[in-house]
Amino acid sequence: MPRGAIIVDKERCKGCGLCLVFCPQDVLAFSGEHNRSSYDVVCMKHPEQCTGCGFCAQTCPDIAIEVYRQKKPKDGS
Amino acid sequence: MGADTIDKVLMTGNEAMAEAGIRAGCRAYFGYPITPQNELLEYMSAHMPQAGGAFIQAESEIAAINMCYGASAAGVRTMTSSSSPGISLKMEGISYIAGADLPCVIVNVVRGGPGLGNIAPAQGDYFQATKGGGHGDYRMIVLGPSTIPEATEHVMLAFELADKYRGPVMILADGMLGQMMEPVVLPKPVDPATLPAKPWALTGAKGREPNIVTSFYLDPEELNMMDVKRESRYRQIEEQEVRYEEHETADATVVIAAYGSVARIARTVVKMARGEGIKLGLLRPISLWPFPYAPLRAIADRVDAILTVEMNAGQMVEDVRLAVAERAQTPFYGVLGGLVPTPKDILREVKRYAG
Ligand code: SF4
Ligand code: SF4
Repeated sequence: MPRGAIIVDKERCKGCGLCLVFCPQDVLAFSGEHNRSSYDVVCMKHPEQCTGCGFCAQTCPDIAIEVYRQKKPKDGS
Repeated sequence: MGADTIDKVLMTGNEAMAEAGIRAGCRAYFGYPITPQNELLEYMSAHMPQAGGAFIQAESEIAAINMCYGASAAGVRTMTSSSSPGISLKMEGISYIAGADLPCVIVNVVRGGPGLGNIAPAQGDYFQATKGGGHGDYRMIVLGPSTIPEATEHVMLAFELADKYRGPVMILADGMLGQMMEPVVLPKPVDPATLPAKPWALTGAKGREPNIVTSFYLDPEELNMMDVKRESRYRQIEEQEVRYEEHETADATVVIAAYGSVARIARTVVKMARGEGIKLGLLRPISLWPFPYAPLRAIADRVDAILTVEMNAGQMVEDVRLAVAERAQTPFYGVLGGLVPTPKDILREVKRYAG
């Protein structure tokens, strides 16, 4: 399975929780950490489950999520 | 890039209301940060100077509203914004502005309360906005937009009404409307120089009798005269400025009464209910003061129930009951704490009164 990771721009996140609902891998959760506007920002609770599918980033209305996908190894192993 | 050169943009409600303010000819904005209203202030700080206006982040909400008093007395279109706890602080100034017969636009991006509450969307400031809030006999026109394009229009309208009736006008939004993004067609900018003259403004008394702007009248006869004059203006507003929208009410047996964000959710409920054969309609008050009593009364005569839905413990429902009296059932459904009702929640309530 391809592996992925995300980075949340904490100052852009408004804690709406949409990404959390749409992540098919149950990766995301509220972090309990509040940004400058006092919003509880999202973090990766189960980073090992992230496939890098990008659903979260597409869902986020505030473009707060950046998605990274691990390159497929060239030798096919 | 600023929004000054483009007409259709994707913007948050807060940004759109700020841009609309500038386009309405507002040239003096004073504010103080508070979530979920911050983007309005930030937008003003970036764009007001380019429009040739004044932006000041005041030392407090109280200072900001009193700066509005001053700017308005000088004849400038002026605006402030905040969220619930900050609006409480502004209430003293709003009463003074009403008492001095000054136009001013105030945006409240309502959050959960009372006290500091939280920063989630709520409608708990309905009483404060429509029933007083500040001291003394005054009224304030209150507009409750339910989409971002409408919030934009309301800002333009608020400035017109404030000037026309010489008093404060409030946009009662909420955290959802402030934070959500929607495509907005921005209104055409108004050139402040083309606005009707304000002969009462303090523009320098050279060559004319000085104008006086005050809310202080020690002589009861004189204060009574000012108050009565203002009251007659309020009656005129009640006659001319009632705004509301009816949606699928013609054959309805149950009608939802809701404003703002909740009305938007209620539209979805109407669709869902109609799909199940339930004749549901929606009456959406747009002006919360003056309240659309008469249209509600007319609907009440032909339906079984008017269900008021709000994000509070039941505030607008008091006006609905005043309008409806015994003509129909007037149940209430509300959510608290900054929670937002889902269409399913509301439909479940509707079913208790349908059929
Ligand atoms: S990239 Fe996919 S799996 Fe990873 S957090 Fe986003 S939605 Fe979940
Ligand atoms: S969708 Fe975006 S703004 Fe909303 S919680 Fe997720 S990262 Fe934050």
